[in-house]
Amino acid sequence: MGDDLYSFSLTTFSPSGKLVQIEYALARVNAGSTSLAVKAKNGVVLATEKKLPPLMDEASISKVSMITENIGMVYSGMGPDSRVLVRKGRKKAQAYFRTYKEHISTAALVKELASIMQEFTQSGGVRPFGVSLLIAGFDDSGPHLYQVDPSGSYWAWKASAIGKNMVNAKTFLEKRYNDDLELEDAIHTAILTLKEGFEGEMNENNIELAIVDDKRKVRVLTPAQVKDYIGEIQ
Amino acid sequence: MARGSSAGYDRHITIFSPEGRLYQVEYAFKAVKSVNQTALGFRGDDSVVIITQKKVPDKLIDPSSVTNMYKITPLIGCVLVGMTADGKSLIQRARHEAAQFKYKYGYDIPVNFLAKRMADTAQVYTQHAYMRPLGVEMTLIGMDEELGPQLYKCDPAGTYIGYKACTSGVKDQEATNFLEKKYKSNPKLSTEETIQLAISSFQSILAVDFKASDLEVGIVSAASPKFELLSQQEIDKYLTQIAERD
Repeated sequence: MGDDLYSFSLTTFSPSGKLVQIEYALARVNAGSTSLAVKAKNGVVLATEKKLPPLMDEASISKVSMITENIGMVYSGMGPDSRVLVRKGRKKAQAYFRTYKEHISTAALVKELASIMQEFTQSGGVRPFGVSLLIAGFDDSGPHLYQVDPSGSYWAWKASAIGKNMVNAKTFLEKRYNDDLELEDAIHTAILTLKEGFEGEMNENNIELAIVDDKRKVRVLTPAQVKDYIGEIQ
Repeated sequence: MARGSSAGYDRHITIFSPEGRLYQVEYAFKAVKSVNQTALGFRGDDSVVIITQKKVPDKLIDPSSVTNMYKITPLIGCVLVGMTADGKSLIQRARHEAAQFKYKYGYDIPVNFLAKRMADTAQVYTQHAYMRPLGVEMTLIGMDEELGPQLYKCDPAGTYIGYKACTSGVKDQEATNFLEKKYKSNPKLSTEETIQLAISSFQSILAVDFKASDLEVGIVSAASPKFELLSQQEIDKYLTQIAERD
């Protein structure tokens, strides 16, 4: 592989002990459009801004991706980088199934993806991924939500936001979150939070919503369904 | 916060700058603009048209060998803007991908899938230091069995998006503004109307009265899904129609 030509890491320590390439990658994430997720008792909701200029066909691309039937993911940052992680995530999930004849748990998949992202901060000739991921799944141990950063660190969250408006969004979510949320409430909370930092008018064509419920299936909501939910919060 | 000790390499290979930018990718976009060429794509109700200038740099060059429009498969065509040699490499890659797909799966590669494959390859060059990004933007067109007319653009950053109308090259900003107005009302466009719109818009945006020999127009339509370039006589016919209309 051509990477062998660069047998040294491009991400190296600065004199103060920082890995600046990772920090710069985070800067890129924080410049990307906002994404957030809220975990409820009976499911998880993923929400993101999808603002495209007028001539683009919004139906042609999707920021939310399905990794397995019951694990979905949304990103903030560089779209092309996220596609690589979606692809690798799907492959890891299939490989796990082939080995164990059991579907991969959300936690195990997150570990794999985080490990991949860490590799790209240490391997020769590559740069870190310019994305943070919010991964939502429903498996045998219930609903889960994780966040993975360009460094490869990951945490489990009750609710989180990434991208441009993450600070305000997280403050907003902290106030409104409680452990007894039902999925429907979580969806409303997610839309309200997204609306807080939204520049311009929010409608069914410039946001994307997906849910994983106790039926253990990832569902990206259609524009019509999104429109209904937006109507409900007004 | 400590200043990054990147020693300025962030401009030479695709690593992040302090603001989180990839300078090499941005420079690749500049390379696309440097060739003084513009290409437009127009999606109609049952057709897609792409148009670009045909600039023969020297009178001694055989004009039939100068082109920026290429057939990837009989049913998928594209127009390239940017560095010629990079473009040729990209075309070879696209043709290979399409042929591999047909061999492996037994049916023709859909346009959106080919666009994704090209974009995924472009992304690799933005993440691995051993290859630089290619200085080309590729606009793909084809008729999809289920989705109808498809227009996709892939760029050096690894982005690919489906468009109703798209612009590429040196006048892309003016062209986008112009096309946004034209498409705002979601017009119904027949094949004839799409071609007319393409040629007349191209002339307006570039503010030049073109001769048929200065233009390349490629089209796919429901009536004729094979990717074809309009002949000079056909282009002439449309130019005359437009001139008489005005």
